[in-house]
Amino acid sequence: MRQALFAAQAQHPAIPWLGLVLLMSSVMLLSVLVGAGEVGALRALAVLAGDGDPEARFVVGSLRLPRTLIGVVVGLALGCAGALLQAVTRNPLAEPGLLGVSAGSAFAVAVALLLGASATTLRVSAAQLGALAGCLCVLSVARLRGVGGDPVRLVLAGAAFSGLLASLTALLLLFDQRAADEIRFWVIGSLSGRRLDDLLAVLPSLAVASLIVLSIARPLAALSLGERVAAGLGHRPGRVRLLVIVAVALLVGAATAIAGPIAFVGLVVPFAARALAGPDIRRVLWLCLPLGPLMVVSADILSRLLVAPSEMPLGVLTALCGAPVLVAVVRARRLPTL
Amino acid sequence: MSFALLPRRPLLALMMTLMTTTAYAHSVETAHGPVEVASDPQRVVTLHEGALDTALAAGITPLGAVTTRGGDGVARYLDDYLDDIAIVGVVREINIEAVLNQQPDLILAPPQLSDEQYALLSRIAPTVVPPAQGFSREAWKDDARLYGQALGREAEVEEAIVEVEQRAAEMAQAIAEQGIDSGATLVRWMPQGPLVMSSQLFSTGVLAAAGLEVHDGGLVPEQAGHSDPLSLENLSRIDDDWLFLATLNADGEEALASARQSPAFERLDVVQRDRVVSVDGQLWSSAQGPLAAQAILDDLERALLP
Repeated sequence: MRQALFAAQAQHPAIPWLGLVLLMSSVMLLSVLVGAGEVGALRALAVLAGDGDPEARFVVGSLRLPRTLIGVVVGLALGCAGALLQAVTRNPLAEPGLLGVSAGSAFAVAVALLLGASATTLRVSAAQLGALAGCLCVLSVARLRGVGGDPVRLVLAGAAFSGLLASLTALLLLFDQRAADEIRFWVIGSLSGRRLDDLLAVLPSLAVASLIVLSIARPLAALSLGERVAAGLGHRPGRVRLLVIVAVALLVGAATAIAGPIAFVGLVVPFAARALAGPDIRRVLWLCLPLGPLMVVSADILSRLLVAPSEMPLGVLTALCGAPVLVAVVRARRLPTL
Repeated sequence: MSFALLPRRPLLALMMTLMTTTAYAHSVETAHGPVEVASDPQRVVTLHEGALDTALAAGITPLGAVTTRGGDGVARYLDDYLDDIAIVGVVREINIEAVLNQQPDLILAPPQLSDEQYALLSRIAPTVVPPAQGFSREAWKDDARLYGQALGREAEVEEAIVEVEQRAAEMAQAIAEQGIDSGATLVRWMPQGPLVMSSQLFSTGVLAAAGLEVHDGGLVPEQAGHSDPLSLENLSRIDDDWLFLATLNADGEEALASARQSPAFERLDVVQRDRVVSVDGQLWSSAQGPLAAQAILDDLERALLP
């Protein structure tokens, strides 16, 4: 019944999509207009109109605009990564943050910083390698008897894995005080103080990830009908899975390298997208494009306004939105399998 | 004197009766009431950075101490005073077994020691806890005097405090005479925005005694906080005559270089005028005591009165 309802809505996917794109654009505008500082919406509007005082121009151009763009990219990456990971594990709870993929990525960044890497590009590659290792660990756990079939058990395995990596990161902090300050900065998810250079450094890998996603969207949708059906349609399930994992690692690694680990975006965004578009991964991915930035940028706006003149860590707010969704999904009588 | 306390503190009274037979000679007034300590303690363990500093200033080398904030040993500024010391935990997590291993005859504890830990520690050795005063510029002197009493070195500690006061007053006069701008803010830099330190800390109190006007951008609630994070958008609030940039890393220049990568930091007036002083965070945001005060005044003299 529910499925039928969603399917009926999914007949006109363009309507929610256009609405969401409009909503995302207005949230992006809002993100440029308001902040923790004294530059209010009117002064910021004057800047956008090509006018405005130097202080407002600096705050809008050098602080709010970069973090808005970074928020958009992080939202895109995490939203799509969540949808892909959920499709490939056929588990609605498979979220990069919950399964320890982000933790693996942050741990790899910490190791890289400890070994003396300071170049942005190196950090991005380290984060992506860490994410890839995290993905492979989690998916090998999922192949164990009994774990893969039960979404909640997979999340438990991910929580254990995340805990392990978090304590290893804490161990690294003990070893090297020099790297400690930088690592502390990376293990807190935030969009503040990140530079546009960081964003430019991840764009190539995001482009690669997009190409992979475009090439596997159709076989992935076929895979959701079952391995035999997919094979019968001429796809190779093993190769599709591997490509999905590489794409997820590129996306999560890029997002973590810019903003640090941010949990729950990859859970909430595909969850909302499926509610609007039904289970087809292609439609879900399209909807994740506006929904991911919508969630991250809105959370970032709140993080600036709630405790002005200070700021809250972004991860706190995404967790506040995400935890209720997680509980709701787990409490549902039957966990929907994908 | 101890007789008057007998009815109210039976346990303590029992302890004191047991101790009168040994070399326990004098009593000090602590947060947990009067405590009897040996007249010349030989095996001292300090569980507070201020206690370690005060003991060293008074010429006593403790056997064990807690680490400095965010470090794995005692603060770097004490390197000249001390070769080797056993680490008995971190401030928030004291390793009771390690304390016991030192077989101390005196434990100098921080004002914020919990009652549970006091109960354990006071069974190992007389434990001296100064009354808690919240964040206050002058509290370190009261703490130091109490530790001095417990160590039987009141005169030495008083002398060390007076030396700090005199040197600070001389510097205040020099700063006023040379017409040096006196506004100052102490922050710890983080790429997502600085942590602004309260103007009521030990280190900011030393700055104030040396004639600086310390500001915290109106951010840290009085008596309530150690520091408060600030959004990059509001960085102009720390744009003072002088900016003291504390870092937990040993290399202050590196911290300054990383702060300068932030465009919001780079455009501050105080940065443009080259009036950022990078200082050791272990000393400036964690330590206290007469030696720490002297080290802070050294830093200040180098920066403002070269």
